Amino acid sequence: MRSVLLILLCLVPGFARAQAEALENPGTVSAVQDRLYRMHHELTLGVGVLPADAFYKGFVGALGYTYHFSDTFAWQVGRGMYSYNVQTGLRRQLERDFDVAPTATAFEDQVQWMVGSDLVWSPLYGKTSILNSSVVHFEAFLLGGGTVVKVHRSDGFRPAINLGVGLRMFSGKTVSFRLDVTNNVVFAGTSRIINVPTVQLGTAFNFGATE
Amino acid sequence: MTPRPFIAAALASAALLVFPPAASAAVPDGGLAMPPPPTGTTTRANASPADAGTPLPADGGTTAAAAEPPPPPPKKVEAGVFDQALQDYFAGKPRAAAGPLYAWLQATPRTDENYAWGQYFLAKSLIDLGLTHAGASYLARIARERTNPNVLPRALDALKDLTDRPHDEVMIDEQVFGALDLGFLPDETGAYAHYQQGMVDLRVGNERWANTHFSKLPESSSEASRAKFALLVTRLKQVKEPSDEMVKDFLGLSEDDKLTRDARNEAALAVARLRYERKDYPGALEAYGKVKLPELDPGRASLYLEEAWTRYKLGEVRAALGILTTLDAPSFRDEFLPDKYLLRALIFRDLCQYLPAKRAAKELTRRYADSLESVRGREDLTQDVRLRRAANAHGGTRRAARFVEVLDLEGERLGRYAGSFGDRLFAHLTKLYDLAHAEGVRVYEARLAEAVRQEADTLLRASEQVRLMEYEVGLKLYERVKKGAKVVSPQDEELLSPAQVAFHFDGEYWNDELKSYRVRIESRCIEENP
Repeated sequence: MRSVLLILLCLVPGFARAQAEALENPGTVSAVQDRLYRMHHELTLGVGVLPADAFYKGFVGALGYTYHFSDTFAWQVGRGMYSYNVQTGLRRQLERDFDVAPTATAFEDQVQWMVGSDLVWSPLYGKTSILNSSVVHFEAFLLGGGTVVKVHRSDGFRPAINLGVGLRMFSGKTVSFRLDVTNNVVFAGTSRIINVPTVQLGTAFNFGATE
Repeated sequence: MTPRPFIAAALASAALLVFPPAASAAVPDGGLAMPPPPTGTTTRANASPADAGTPLPADGGTTAAAAEPPPPPPKKVEAGVFDQALQDYFAGKPRAAAGPLYAWLQATPRTDENYAWGQYFLAKSLIDLGLTHAGASYLARIARERTNPNVLPRALDALKDLTDRPHDEVMIDEQVFGALDLGFLPDETGAYAHYQQGMVDLRVGNERWANTHFSKLPESSSEASRAKFALLVTRLKQVKEPSDEMVKDFLGLSEDDKLTRDARNEAALAVARLRYERKDYPGALEAYGKVKLPELDPGRASLYLEEAWTRYKLGEVRAALGILTTLDAPSFRDEFLPDKYLLRALIFRDLCQYLPAKRAAKELTRRYADSLESVRGREDLTQDVRLRRAANAHGGTRRAARFVEVLDLEGERLGRYAGSFGDRLFAHLTKLYDLAHAEGVRVYEARLAEAVRQEADTLLRASEQVRLMEYEVGLKLYERVKKGAKVVSPQDEELLSPAQVAFHFDGEYWNDELKSYRVRIESRCIEENP
């Protein structure tokens, strides 16, 4: 009981100070602005890379369309990417020195192309100052959805779950640049899953946004 | 005294009459179509014009000049100096051209066909070297002397360009453009001269004469729009109740693309002020919205304050308080806005936030304590830093101060050219700048004395109102609250619309947010009879 009283006694000056501060400087200030950049129909063209697989690296070209329901919620209706794969030195070495068959399962997991659809949630919208002379607006988003992946085998269609994050820098009302970092969890077999991370840079064209 | 000198002089005159100096054969029709002017002029090296190239004495310098010893006769200048100087000028070496051009002008009679060209290229060389006032003085001399009709339009064009920066208003605006014979001028320069002459007439209160000049301006010219603006402002000063038509005219000017952005903004501000005076507060706000600023430009403090008053009158106290937050930004820290504290105190009082109201009121007397003390002590107000800064911030005082700054800067710059200009040109320009500086300072101080008086008046009025406010708030602060009184339910805060975004203000000002601050503050007023 005595310690409780002691604690209360210690807190009293703090409360009093806070109250005095509120009395002297009442109110809070915010800058309320019309949102400068709003998205509606978004067409994205991008390039990227599939960096994770040790046996190949994929260089991808991507295309997508996103419909924005609001400033924070959108549906990436469709996206597709084609991967141009380049074998790594490791694979060449395995084939040459160790005579590993090219039909080995690991080699057959090469992604040829994939299509999918995602839901996009953009909780962050902000701005930053560049060299104290200009202001750039950006938004950060999370996305998640499903993908159909075509891998390098005869019956190569595999389902996948796509999860990722992204960042968009606005250049104008109609053009913005976005960076997507996603991971497709591909169900390659009954008890086997593979991860296909992608890093993609794109230019987004925005149509039909209202002021 | 023997008559021999008179006889010699008479003989010399007769000889000159019989054998006039050979005119430049290379100059066709006595003029030049395009620069560079023709070469091959014969420089009259042996001529000794007493004061051919010396500057016209300024008013104040006449007696001083009489007391000084006569200047040494100009040195002989070789033929070809003029041509060489022009070559240097067109080769992009104005520094090398200026000295020889001046020497050539000194040694050449004013009647020489290329004399005006010499002045013109000396002026251009000086302007290129950053000595704009010296250049302007030679251009103004060409305009006054009018010895060569081919040089004159170029000189006037160059002078017109110089009016965009701080300049000698008497020498250029009044003595050149305000006094030109306008018949021979090309359209654009003529329009500018008509505008300036109309302005001179307006300033002395002769609107009818001003109109005769303004009516000659082409309707599509920017000068026509500026003249219209000047006329409206003049009429505004004369009438007590501005008419609807006048407001409409200002509104039209605020959308006139021929005007500069500053002029359009001024017109929009005029509309806003007129509407405010007529208690049309929404209309005033709409007019403030027409003021367009470059991206990330902080804008003008007086504009924010006026908008804050308008919003206060509209009952938008939170928005008004937000704008007052804007006025605390570093960009406006040195602004002289005594009303700001008064308005803040009024808003807090209306929200029954009496302690902050009292503090805001006291802030004015605290911040301007030195200035108020100077006013009450009847000290020299021009020595008060705040009042002086406020007076320098606008109007004629600002222009005069900027001109003196330019003269200071160019005077310093002149020192760098001492070696390359030669003693004569350097001494001449030093004297020119000294005289101009003395006159500039005199004009500035005269304007400053009047301007600080006005600012002191503004400060005193605000201080008076603030004291009343303090008294009123003091009464309210200790007012007894009746039994059963309730706190007024807070006004519904305006929620963010989906198209809006809010950035919490934590003391860091962003230029793009200066117009957007809103304060969330509760009213502490109580209802006596719920």
